[in-house]
Amino acid sequence: MAAAVQIETVNITINDIEIAVPKGELIVEAVKRLGLEIPIFCYHPRMKPVGMCRMCIVEVGFKQPDGTVRKMPKPQAACTLPASEGMAVYTDTEMVHRDRKGVLEFLLINHPLDCPICDRGGECPLQNNTLFYGPSTSRYVELKRHAPKAFPLSKYVTLDLERCIQCGRCVRFTEEISGDSELAFRFRGANMQPSTFELRDFESKFSGNVIEICPVGALTSAKYRFRARPWDLETKPAVCTVCSNGCNVWFDYRVGKMVRINGRTNEGVNEEWTCDKGKFGHEFYNSEDRLLTPLVREGDQLVPTDWARVYSDVIRAFANGGDKVAALGGAANSNEDVFMLNRLMTGIFGTKNLDHRFERNLVTGVGEKLGVSEVQSTIASLEDAPSMLVFGTSLADELPIVFLRVRKAWFKNGAKVVVAHHAPTDADSFAEVILRYKEGTEAAVASGLLSLLVSAGKAQVPAATADAIKPFTPEHVEQLSGVPAEKLRVAAELLEGAPIITTRSMYNQASGVDALEALAGLAMVTNGKFNCYSLQANAEGATLLGTKEGMHTHQILNAAAAGELKALWLVNVDPFALYPDRELVQQALENVEFLAVQGTVASEAMHYASVVLPQCAPAEMDGTYTNVERRVQRMRPVLKPKGSTKPGWNIFSEIAVRLRPATPFFNPGEVMAEIAKENPAFEGATYDKLPAEGFVIR
Amino acid sequence: MAERKLLFEHTHDPAFRTLDGYKATGGYQALEKAIKMDRQAVIDEVKASGLRGRGGAGFPTWIKWNGIPKDKKTTHYVLCNADEGEPGTFKDKQLMETCPFLLVEGMTIAGHATNADQGFIYIRGEFIDAARALRSAIDEAYAAGLLGKNIMGTGWNFDLDIHLGAGSYECGEESALMSSLMGERGMPRLKFPHAPLPTVAGLWERPTLINNVETYCCAPFIIKNGGEWYASLGASTKNSRGTKIFSVSGHVNKPGNFEIEFGTPLKELLEMAGGVKGGKLKACVPGGSSVPIITAEDVDRAIIGYEEMSEVKSMVGSGGCMFLNEHTCIVTFIWRTALFYANESCGKCTPCREGTRWMLQILDRIRRGNGQKGDIELLKDICSQIDGRSFCGLGDAAAWPVAAALRVFPHEFEYFIENGKSMVESEPTLAMAP
Repeated sequence: MAAAVQIETVNITINDIEIAVPKGELIVEAVKRLGLEIPIFCYHPRMKPVGMCRMCIVEVGFKQPDGTVRKMPKPQAACTLPASEGMAVYTDTEMVHRDRKGVLEFLLINHPLDCPICDRGGECPLQNNTLFYGPSTSRYVELKRHAPKAFPLSKYVTLDLERCIQCGRCVRFTEEISGDSELAFRFRGANMQPSTFELRDFESKFSGNVIEICPVGALTSAKYRFRARPWDLETKPAVCTVCSNGCNVWFDYRVGKMVRINGRTNEGVNEEWTCDKGKFGHEFYNSEDRLLTPLVREGDQLVPTDWARVYSDVIRAFANGGDKVAALGGAANSNEDVFMLNRLMTGIFGTKNLDHRFERNLVTGVGEKLGVSEVQSTIASLEDAPSMLVFGTSLADELPIVFLRVRKAWFKNGAKVVVAHHAPTDADSFAEVILRYKEGTEAAVASGLLSLLVSAGKAQVPAATADAIKPFTPEHVEQLSGVPAEKLRVAAELLEGAPIITTRSMYNQASGVDALEALAGLAMVTNGKFNCYSLQANAEGATLLGTKEGMHTHQILNAAAAGELKALWLVNVDPFALYPDRELVQQALENVEFLAVQGTVASEAMHYASVVLPQCAPAEMDGTYTNVERRVQRMRPVLKPKGSTKPGWNIFSEIAVRLRPATPFFNPGEVMAEIAKENPAFEGATYDKLPAEGFVIR
Repeated sequence: MAERKLLFEHTHDPAFRTLDGYKATGGYQALEKAIKMDRQAVIDEVKASGLRGRGGAGFPTWIKWNGIPKDKKTTHYVLCNADEGEPGTFKDKQLMETCPFLLVEGMTIAGHATNADQGFIYIRGEFIDAARALRSAIDEAYAAGLLGKNIMGTGWNFDLDIHLGAGSYECGEESALMSSLMGERGMPRLKFPHAPLPTVAGLWERPTLINNVETYCCAPFIIKNGGEWYASLGASTKNSRGTKIFSVSGHVNKPGNFEIEFGTPLKELLEMAGGVKGGKLKACVPGGSSVPIITAEDVDRAIIGYEEMSEVKSMVGSGGCMFLNEHTCIVTFIWRTALFYANESCGKCTPCREGTRWMLQILDRIRRGNGQKGDIELLKDICSQIDGRSFCGLGDAAAWPVAAALRVFPHEFEYFIENGKSMVESEPTLAMAP
């Protein structure tokens, strides 16, 4: 724990109530300490204040030595005013009320007031502020400003300029948070409008956020437009399962159908942001391709059947299978699912042939080999790192929310970021040093960095390692990789204590394993933190709860292709999509005697299935997921399971009970209690203990 | 009193635009003197002179100069606001075109006083001739070792460059000017107490001194002759010292720039400009389009001085003095002013962005004969909702002339609204396009 930092406070009065607040705290925030609220539009606590909308205007004075207050001649914007000693703020005077009314009158004169057909209606800050602070009638009799009503900025975002109140939140988001600077204002005065450059497509990986921070219905979701009224929606907290970041989201649904996803605040994970992949990536809930009933093969067709039939087929194929049966997948399933799958395979079927990894150069994890953790930094901790190394990943694509945190570390705290990748990435825009290497020379670059630090005498390494990295002088690395020796030196200088961020996609690179070993070594030498982040929703959970003893994915597929496997279970995974060798997958699926395909939506692998087990989608069941930083988060059921789908843990549990009668698990909470019993790391994740913001396994 | 030509003494001498000609009249003696003086001593002279900012606000110049940190830790900038855009004002244009060395020397003195490394002159984009004159003056000064490295052998380096604006009135607002100079959209930035003063964190967050062209041009005279001497000019006024250039336009026989001493009666300025043309005097906008309009009676009693002008409820402003004769329709005049401000609002803050357009729409409706009962009260309300509520001074500047016209000439508005036409018989002779 860091030592408590002494915060300098100043004494101010708010509506004549004395209060001490941190020096420089913005008045708009300071008033919240008294339970007061100042209406705002342009102000957003995560972005720099600009004072554009003037909605937050307050009266301000300063205490004079004689105890009287001398008011400033003009009212002041509370969102930009830092608290200073002796300041007297008034939020409730006649002048303040008149000015708020004035600003709202101005904002409304050109607003179309088409609230009845506006997506924002019912959850609109402009409506809300007007209700509480605005004029009840309009004095405006002139012609309103007109503009195109539904301009498509991108396939996700539609702009209605007439509703825009020019607060600049969207523009500032792209400048300050996402960093793509895709939006800017064009024209001036009353004609000022947010726009992309030359009206080109709004190409951002985070564009969905501007819809949420827009205080009116100017930026709307192309997917959600006109689909519901907010008050008809039901909203429940959920966790995004599209990637491994585990973003906290609000899940909005109506009549049992997913309607939209909004960001939910979790300071440890996504703050309040979402990425477009996540925000717009939950369409599968309503997909036509959802698997709704168990299917069984009859000739060349899969025909609907019932669970009893599927269970008996599976049991016939897998029971007592030993080494002749295997399962693949699970990284997209909950911890409870993965645990029960593992128990079924190892405990009942007697096989350890179980793997969720599909990387090309799949080996024992580097971390395991070197005896270090592959996840040493929490997402939030990256924010305070003075420097960082982002290696071999297009972070904004692979882990968008981690990318935002890395960018924030640079934007807010001036962190120096070293970016090493074979292709341009979004992180280049703020990188202190870019190491652009030829694809395939990852190991040389990583070894070069390690070699530089070792030869500089920063640390001792085992003799074998020292010998291995010795040839990788900066000049030699330059020859191999094309990274200028000088840049490598500059980068190495920055790495003391730096978190190293790379992802499991490194295992797909030819020299990825060697590179990862060098990076893990580098972290040890620099007292940094090594992170090889995983990419699927619960890959970390699957790693922690799975077995590492049986065949791995390559061996399983090869065995299946060679006809050596009696039965194979694909658990919520399509190997065609993930495995680099398509032909092998096809041979494996063709030649295995019995193929069980379990999933939520139809997949290519299903064409080879003997039986299909329909599984609920994540938000349709209770369960926990372990995200990229090993934070266990619970997703409670939001929707009812579709058709006759079942949660994964339930499927595995029901099969197990048929083979070995025992008291079954009735709910995933019981499964988690069992997990915690067997795996103490999960002790803080039992349902009675698990905090709302999740529990980070360390 | 008559004209008091100080800055403009050599304005008609083409030789004054060359370094040799400038030096022949005593040019660069001030810099030579200043550069041997202690930095603080230079600032003290400016303080003694009582010089106040000539851009319009009349802020004491020495406070800005004195505000630049004395212990230099980073680059210091000296910035000249030459984005003269206030309608009716054209003094800086003539100063730069005919006396470019005055500005260059004045800025160099300011650069010395504030230990600056770099100066910028942000010139209004339309002022091509001024930019050319300054370019050539700067080049000559560089060649003569009066700019650049090791100025006058003192070891002090000071660079000076010009930057042309892109045609926005708002960029004459000092913080918007800095945004524009830094390559951003020309919108105003937060000001004290919301952000540090430019003297602490201006251009690129570094200490920056920003003054108007005319203000810098005064510096050589103050240094050469001493602050006390300068303060003797205009001593009859409460707190306005030195000379001020007024750009006189409108219904006068001899429009142009006139340099006068503070304390000169406004009516004398009118006489200098050859008196009213085409009829009797009706009104005057004494300090640029944004300052409140005054009546002919007020012109008779007004004394030019920062405090003195407030007695007729107006301002010295930037010195853009427009006289209007009896055939001027005040409604039309104010409509044209409102059109300017609605066009030039940058759009950043709500009151200015929406208020200027609304005022224009109402005035336009009145002008077309469709005025309604209540329009005057509505206009007054809008003015009060903008004045003091906008992000920067542009909003205030847009509201003041409308509010003043409604106060001073209410009957003209009432007549227009009631009768659907102007109470002034003949069409105004001022250019009213579009």
